[in-house]
Amino acid sequence: MIKLNSIAIIDDDPITVFGIKRMLSSLNVSKNINCYINGKEAIDDFKSILKRNEKVPEVVFLDINMPIMDGWQFLEEFITLPIAHKIRINILTSSIDPKDRENWKYYMTRTHHILDYKNKPIQKKEIEEITKAA
Amino acid sequence: MMENQITLVRNYCSMLRETRTQSNEYLIKQLPVSTVFVDKKFKIIHASDRWVADFDLTNSNVIGRSLFEVFTEVSKSWKKDLNRVLKGISKLSGIENFHDAQNMEKWFEWINVPWYDEKENIIGVIIQTKDISNTIFDDIKLKKLEILLKDKSEKSKIGSWEYNAVQDKLTWCKNTKIIHEVSEDYEPDIDSAINFYKEGYSRNTIAMAVDKAMSKGISWSETFQLITAKGKEISVIAAGKPVFKDDKFLGLIGTFQDITNEVLTKVRTEEQERIFSSIFNSSYQFTGILNTQGTFLEVNNTALEFSDLRPEDIINKKFWDAYWWPIPDMVKDGLKQIIAAAAQGEFMRSEIVVMDKNKQAVPVDFSLKPIYNENNEVVSLLAEGRMIKEMVEARQKLKISEQKFRSLYELSPIAYILSDYETGEILDFNSSFETATAYSKEDLRNLRYADIVPDSSRHKLINFLKEVDSKGTYGPFEHMFVKKDGTAYPVLISGSLVGNKKGRKLLWSTAQDISEVKKKEKQIREEQKLLKTLIDNLPLNVYIKDLESRKVLVNKSELTYCGRTDESEVLGKNDREFYDEESAQISREEDLSVINNLSPILRKETISVKKDGTLTTFMTSKIPLIAPDGKASGLIGISMDISDLKQQEQELRDLINVTSIQNKQLVNFAHIVSHNLRSHTANFSMLLEFLVEEKDKSEQENIIKMLTEASDNLLETLDNLNEVVAISTNVNLEKIPIKINQKIAAAEQNLAAFLKKNNAQIINEIPDETYIRVIPAYIDSIIMNFITNAVKYKHEQRDPVIKLTVSKNEKYTILSIEDNGLGIDLNKYGEKLFGMYKTFHDNSDARGIGLYITKNQIEAMNGKIMACSEVGKGTTFNIYFNDKA
Repeated sequence: MIKLNSIAIIDDDPITVFGIKRMLSSLNVSKNINCYINGKEAIDDFKSILKRNEKVPEVVFLDINMPIMDGWQFLEEFITLPIAHKIRINILTSSIDPKDRENWKYYMTRTHHILDYKNKPIQKKEIEEITKAA
Repeated sequence: MMENQITLVRNYCSMLRETRTQSNEYLIKQLPVSTVFVDKKFKIIHASDRWVADFDLTNSNVIGRSLFEVFTEVSKSWKKDLNRVLKGISKLSGIENFHDAQNMEKWFEWINVPWYDEKENIIGVIIQTKDISNTIFDDIKLKKLEILLKDKSEKSKIGSWEYNAVQDKLTWCKNTKIIHEVSEDYEPDIDSAINFYKEGYSRNTIAMAVDKAMSKGISWSETFQLITAKGKEISVIAAGKPVFKDDKFLGLIGTFQDITNEVLTKVRTEEQERIFSSIFNSSYQFTGILNTQGTFLEVNNTALEFSDLRPEDIINKKFWDAYWWPIPDMVKDGLKQIIAAAAQGEFMRSEIVVMDKNKQAVPVDFSLKPIYNENNEVVSLLAEGRMIKEMVEARQKLKISEQKFRSLYELSPIAYILSDYETGEILDFNSSFETATAYSKEDLRNLRYADIVPDSSRHKLINFLKEVDSKGTYGPFEHMFVKKDGTAYPVLISGSLVGNKKGRKLLWSTAQDISEVKKKEKQIREEQKLLKTLIDNLPLNVYIKDLESRKVLVNKSELTYCGRTDESEVLGKNDREFYDEESAQISREEDLSVINNLSPILRKETISVKKDGTLTTFMTSKIPLIAPDGKASGLIGISMDISDLKQQEQELRDLINVTSIQNKQLVNFAHIVSHNLRSHTANFSMLLEFLVEEKDKSEQENIIKMLTEASDNLLETLDNLNEVVAISTNVNLEKIPIKINQKIAAAEQNLAAFLKKNNAQIINEIPDETYIRVIPAYIDSIIMNFITNAVKYKHEQRDPVIKLTVSKNEKYTILSIEDNGLGIDLNKYGEKLFGMYKTFHDNSDARGIGLYITKNQIEAMNGKIMACSEVGKGTTFNIYFNDKA
């Protein structure tokens, strides 16, 4: 498996973060796994990475319901960042609200990045599937 | 004088014929008469000094120059004359003018004689000239005076004038100036003089006359109208004569004679004659003038035409011999006697019969009147005959029309009664009266006007009589008549007073039986009443408006709606009287549309606002009332008050809105619940999976610890959900009024430690007696929540200050909680502010449930909540407590 430079997990639920991390480490795809507890922390860090001319994580796991800045607000800002190559963003949520699915489709039309949408809980097999750099 | 000069020249000529010597020349130079000798080629041979001086030629040597070189403007006729002299015509003379060096016109008389040599051959011309510039006008004056004396002098008011064409000068004598009504020092010229002539005929004629006089030498004498300087129109005889001397036009002389009075007198006399003659001839009467012996002096056209005669058939003939007398002898004698009597000064008149040209007898009112002279003597007789054929015919016509009236009188359906005004005695009535009352002519003798009037309306009768007294007529009035059998019936009466020949006052009365009309009226009244009752009891507002939108009929509902009790307060008034400006305007526009398009407005929903602000929703129909001419005469309006219906509809709509909002909230809630439960379950399932696979003991323990955490979280979530569900299901908890300050004080006490720790200050500006209707448990939670939030999200750089105020509107008591905390970007988070599990700040203890629950509690109490906020400054929450529901 090709190793990724870095992976980001954006989720306010520590259990979910623990689970994803554990699965990723067993898959051994990347040594750099950055965790953020809401969208604001993530977008601020991404911006500073870009400023330093370093590479933003190639795969992002994104929760929707988070305080301060939720997943959609994060996406709204993220798609405006000057990132030429494709980033894989996996939206992970326990919401079954059709509105959230609509939102996902809407953002897919607005960006060149890859957006995926998965309901929790996530299986290890799925993680493997969606942890490939775009 | 002229003769002498010529003689002199001759003498010189005969002298000079001898020799042409130097001494001759010297002699010629000194001649006292201006003389010049020219040869056959008109070259100047000799010239006297006088001649040189006269022609102002001193400065140039003329001898040896051609005559025509010296006199460049010399006329052709003169040249011709000189040539003729050269051919031997012994002597020619004339007058010539030229302009000298000062441009003064000079006139010369000249005489040309041939210049002979000793052999009697003509060798040239001797020209002798004389300056006559001064004498020439004296000459003209002389002539003028002569004319005046000869033609006009004896006549009065004659003025004279002269025009000097050479100097272009017009002179008026004193009389002429008086005629023109100008001052004595007035100086006329040709243009101004012509302008005195009245525009049109007079001015044109004088202009032409002057022109003819100048070009053809024709004199004039005409009557003209002048407008004097004072604007008076006068008539004058103006005469003028051109003056020529030897074919040369020198000027004009003439006279004015004012004949205005003569003209006026003549016009007046003519006018009087014409008037007299036209009266005399066009009079409808036969008129003749006789002398005292009965001989015709004059007879007018009417008389001649009547008998088809010419004046000579009558004039100077005896009156009684005239054609028109039918029975000669007897009438003749009578006429002779009448004429004799008239000649004695008696005025004679009688009705007689004469014959017209067709031998038809014509009745005539004949009269003979003596005419006196200033000495009171009868000088002639005026015979007049007035045809009275028409009068006789008129009598006949009157008789026929009286018959017609009689038959009308008898056949008319209207009763006629003739009574004596003074006594009330009934003198006559027609058959209509007989039919109506059953009285007959036999009753006449004993019947009086009072008998046909019922006792009950006697007083009315007196009023009628008073009216007749003052106006001569009475009525029409509605009144009652009594029949012979004593029953009464209604009549419409009127009448007028007439006087007969004997001075008796008679009263003509007409009486129309109006029983039927009365019956019909009653019927209509009843129908109207029925209709009125019907429309008055309709649960609709009904009204009729005229073209100006003024109400002409309203039913009871409309009257009540207008807020009036009496119809008169509404009728004749338009909508502006009852509605506010806008409603009245809309209504008027509707009316106009109905009236102008003749098409009704049906079942239109309108909101009418009355002057007092009352709002009513009407379902209105407006239907045009169409007059027989096809145009609208007004409209009928029918309005149904559907305010209640509208209200219910609105309530229903509101309810639907509320339900749909609640429904949405419910779905939203379901999603939240599902999300929360699912997220925990997902964690469980994931952790359990890890646990199964995990061999490492410490890691297993770690997972179990996490499982426990997950389980705690799930329990907390379930608690929160329970709380929310409890609010949603407890909507029927009873609201009671509580003193708001009590609740605030309690909250402050409970939070004392927390507030103190954060250095928080609460400023309570709520009046002590403020009550709100709430569910007590909820209000505790609400106040706690807001105060806690305000402190929790305080600004780092300042201590929290919370200000509480209250205001009221019609429906709500509004509690405002204002803090100086972080504030929230409402543009960003406004939608989610009251959402479940929404947090906006970095606080670790933000659960995202407080505002959600608070909102649910407020809404459960039929209230609402609003927020306004500015980031960095603070937030104000306005909580609306419903006082009504």
